[in-house]
Amino acid sequence: MFLEQLSGNLVQGVVLGSVYGMATMGLSLIFGVLKVVNVGHGAFVMVGAFVALFFFNTLGLNPIFAIPAAFAVGIALGLTFYYAAIRKLLHAPELATLLATFSAGVLLEETIKMIFGSEFRGYNWDVGNIDLVFTALPMSKILAALGSVLIAVLLYVWFKRTRAGSAMRSVVEDSQGARVCGINVDGVYAMSFALGIGLTVASGVLLTMFIPVGINPYMGGGYTLKAFVIAVLGGLSSPYGAFFGGLVFGLIENTSYTVFALIPGVEPFALTRFLSFLILLIILLIRPTGIIKAK
Amino acid sequence: MKSFSFKPFVFLIVCLFFFSATSAFAAPPDEIVIGHPACLSGKYAKAGEQAVGGIEACIHWVNSEYGGITLDGKKVPLTYKKYDCESKKENVTSLIGRLITVDRVDVVFAPYSSGLTLRGAPIAEGHSMLYMDHGGANNKIFEQGFQYTVQTIGPATSYHKGTLDMVKKIAPDAKKVALAYEDSEFATMVMEGAKTHAEELGFEVVFERTYPKGVTDMTPMLSAMKATDPDFVLGGGHFEDGQLFNRQMSDLNIDVDCLSLIAAATLPAFYEALGNMAEGVMGPSHWEYGVTYSQEAAKEIGTRWIGPSQDEFVSLFKEAVGDQDMVPDYHAAEAGAQVLAYVLAAEKADSVDSGKVRAALGDLEFMSFYGTWDISDSGLQVGHSMVDVQWQDGKREIVWPESAQTGKPCYPMPTFDEKAEGEKALP
Repeated sequence: MFLEQLSGNLVQGVVLGSVYGMATMGLSLIFGVLKVVNVGHGAFVMVGAFVALFFFNTLGLNPIFAIPAAFAVGIALGLTFYYAAIRKLLHAPELATLLATFSAGVLLEETIKMIFGSEFRGYNWDVGNIDLVFTALPMSKILAALGSVLIAVLLYVWFKRTRAGSAMRSVVEDSQGARVCGINVDGVYAMSFALGIGLTVASGVLLTMFIPVGINPYMGGGYTLKAFVIAVLGGLSSPYGAFFGGLVFGLIENTSYTVFALIPGVEPFALTRFLSFLILLIILLIRPTGIIKAK
Repeated sequence: MKSFSFKPFVFLIVCLFFFSATSAFAAPPDEIVIGHPACLSGKYAKAGEQAVGGIEACIHWVNSEYGGITLDGKKVPLTYKKYDCESKKENVTSLIGRLITVDRVDVVFAPYSSGLTLRGAPIAEGHSMLYMDHGGANNKIFEQGFQYTVQTIGPATSYHKGTLDMVKKIAPDAKKVALAYEDSEFATMVMEGAKTHAEELGFEVVFERTYPKGVTDMTPMLSAMKATDPDFVLGGGHFEDGQLFNRQMSDLNIDVDCLSLIAAATLPAFYEALGNMAEGVMGPSHWEYGVTYSQEAAKEIGTRWIGPSQDEFVSLFKEAVGDQDMVPDYHAAEAGAQVLAYVLAAEKADSVDSGKVRAALGDLEFMSFYGTWDISDSGLQVGHSMVDVQWQDGKREIVWPESAQTGKPCYPMPTFDEKAEGEKALP
């Protein structure tokens, strides 16, 4: 029985972890290039969730079609927010960008609330289940995981094989040196911020494919918290690290429950949280830059 | 040497006597103000919006139909002063202080949820201000020795009594119950009451686990629950986790004969989010449209009736929120009924003094569209009974108690596979 549950939770953990990883890549990208901590991260995830909801419930379209649309919405939001606020605050004390991203998050939450209301919404995209003997897995979750992996691979290829990706990597390495070499650093900053927000908003769609309920303007808070743990776990400046951090986090969250459930008199969920933050603390103490170095 | 003069003291005593005499025989106020740190945004915004609509609907009824509160023979209108507490504890405390000291309200209505209600109670208590609780069901609020806190919503421990009684009666073979709930003050108290009652009825609690607030994945817990093969499940906590609970039970193909979720399952948004997957799911509710409380019912049990009829309340609510499509749920009804309780108590006390109104509330028994009202010495609501609703063919039917039924219960509910193929929960 224990092994059956553990195997089931391992599979669920991998699937969930890949979506968590994708949802954190934007946060790491923005920090890696601009050194801006986006504390409004969860609100951008929430926007993506509403894009998926709008596509499915209003337009009657498959949520997969919502992924590029959410990415485009994110790019637009990112560029607007970058030129309206972040650009002016890049050389201000860190607190200024923290407050700006926090404000952007609140602004988004209240705007979405004005448009859609504060109800908890959801959609039903039923594409069947796969029965794995030890657990059942909905196809929508598998597609969300595959979508996350595909986006992570595309981002990797884009970074490695395109001029824009090289420019971004050079700015991460040495922004002054990049400027001397003729790279438009301000343009790279704008592109990185927009790309980071685009990835974050797109991840909101993937998250709803995993959990298509509880969509409301204030749903992002929990994801912000998790994203920070994952980002530190994988390397705060590394989008790929964040992806692998997500996988590890998903596995820890799911499998540790089964192990902790063996201890009599404890609530396993409480201990899984404890473990997640204990790992975060240990990593911060021994390797503050995260497990995987930025590339 | 100058002799000591008593004249100033005599003058002072006369002034004090005159002041206290005029205070004692003070004319009724021009208006009576209800203060409310309402949850208009944040995680309880939905319940808060409903509560505000219910309060405004009943205030409108009191002022326009009832003519206001009769104090010393004069009809005094009710007014409503609210602030948005953003569903945050720290805001509740400061706003209650502001309502009492700056806005000089006559009574404070608590915000939604047990946690926020409990946070505000000591502030109201410190100002000897009547604090009326319409959305905090946790019994512990009334175990703190507060003198000025009274409850309209029913106590948390009674939420699942009806569900358990129903299963016991219609499915005597059902033995195993699983309890899985949010580790909030409210849900913990609900499940404590459910566990006690389940054991009294001879059910075996085969699984009992909690999950944290804001949980985004319940798969590990639900997988463990599935392994215990329960006949029925009682669970939930608030809105979002209730939807997630049902959804992930479906994902994992956990079929049970009955699933009852607190808070979430009774809301229209629950069915809108889950669709056919919500068929057959039950939830305890303080009030549902269709309940049979009326002037005639009040007469039958020999108690006083006050307030609009059920249909009048619905109409006033829609007018108050400015949305003809919005339907009041129990959050609106319990908040509205609280206004009516205050009206009767203030009239009985012939005063708006918190101590006197609190004493009058202790002796008060009445019926409104929300049901019966009676509180214990500690302020806990003991007069109100709950109903159990079940989603049947996209509609909420009151299935328990039998005396309030608008439909028979569907037991066992269809499996998730059957529901995926479009089967409805029909008795």
